[in-house]
Amino acid sequence: MSFEGDLRSALRREPAPEGFAARVLAKTAAAERAVVVPFRGMPLTLAMAAGLIVALMIPPGLHEYKQRQRGIEAKDQLMVALSITRVQLKQARGKIRQGTRAKL
Amino acid sequence: MAIDFARTVADNQSLVFSLAVRFLRDREGAEELAQDVFLQLYKQIRQIESPAHAASWLRRAICHRCIDEARKRRLRPRIALEDVPEPASESRNADPFLNERLRRLVGDLPESARMVVLLRYQEDLDPSDIAGMLNMPISTVKSHLHRSLAVLRGRLTKQAVCG
Repeated sequence: MSFEGDLRSALRREPAPEGFAARVLAKTAAAERAVVVPFRGMPLTLAMAAGLIVALMIPPGLHEYKQRQRGIEAKDQLMVALSITRVQLKQARGKIRQGTRAKL
Repeated sequence: MAIDFARTVADNQSLVFSLAVRFLRDREGAEELAQDVFLQLYKQIRQIESPAHAASWLRRAICHRCIDEARKRRLRPRIALEDVPEPASESRNADPFLNERLRRLVGDLPESARMVVLLRYQEDLDPSDIAGMLNMPISTVKSHLHRSLAVLRGRLTKQAVCG
């Protein structure tokens, strides 16, 4: 083999560590859930006043809105869980195939 | 969302991780960086038009993050390359000792030259693609490749002679 061929062979891609994809997907799910803290960094009195104004302005449809949000969050979580499962199944299937090939 | 994120992670994890681990010579740091790059992609997923676009975006992102990280560390590797476990998929007719020596020698190249060599021989990119990816004139890419090959050949021969 030529020197460049040797280099290509030495530098072939290697598989990512076990569970890498699942950890990435879990991190993205956690990032999605991260809570945005309102009035952060404001002086206390100003934050309280702003909170009071917001409380007075709460629309009557808040309950329905919250329920809808919960529904969306639950759906997102389910989608992430399904994605993780799919990746894990794919990895398991790959390993089974490799094992079968090795036996053959 | 134009592309499936979970599938993109599954399809490109090896690309991103391999570039990071070969460049940084530190598995833990490489995994952290690779995960960050995927998170960055997740935030911009709506701008990604196709799986090929995602792969190219990831390759570019991990290259620049690796170079930034190495500059931050002014690289004294946390784990020496000889401690990094070898890939499981070593081809049967490859010489594992030669491969290990070559990986170590590539790891000792200066940062820009190391990335150029990885993109050329790991990712099989043309010098013009490498130039675009690293924002470098094509003549610089070619000169990095030429010099790096000469250095690698020289060091490999020297090691063989010295035993």
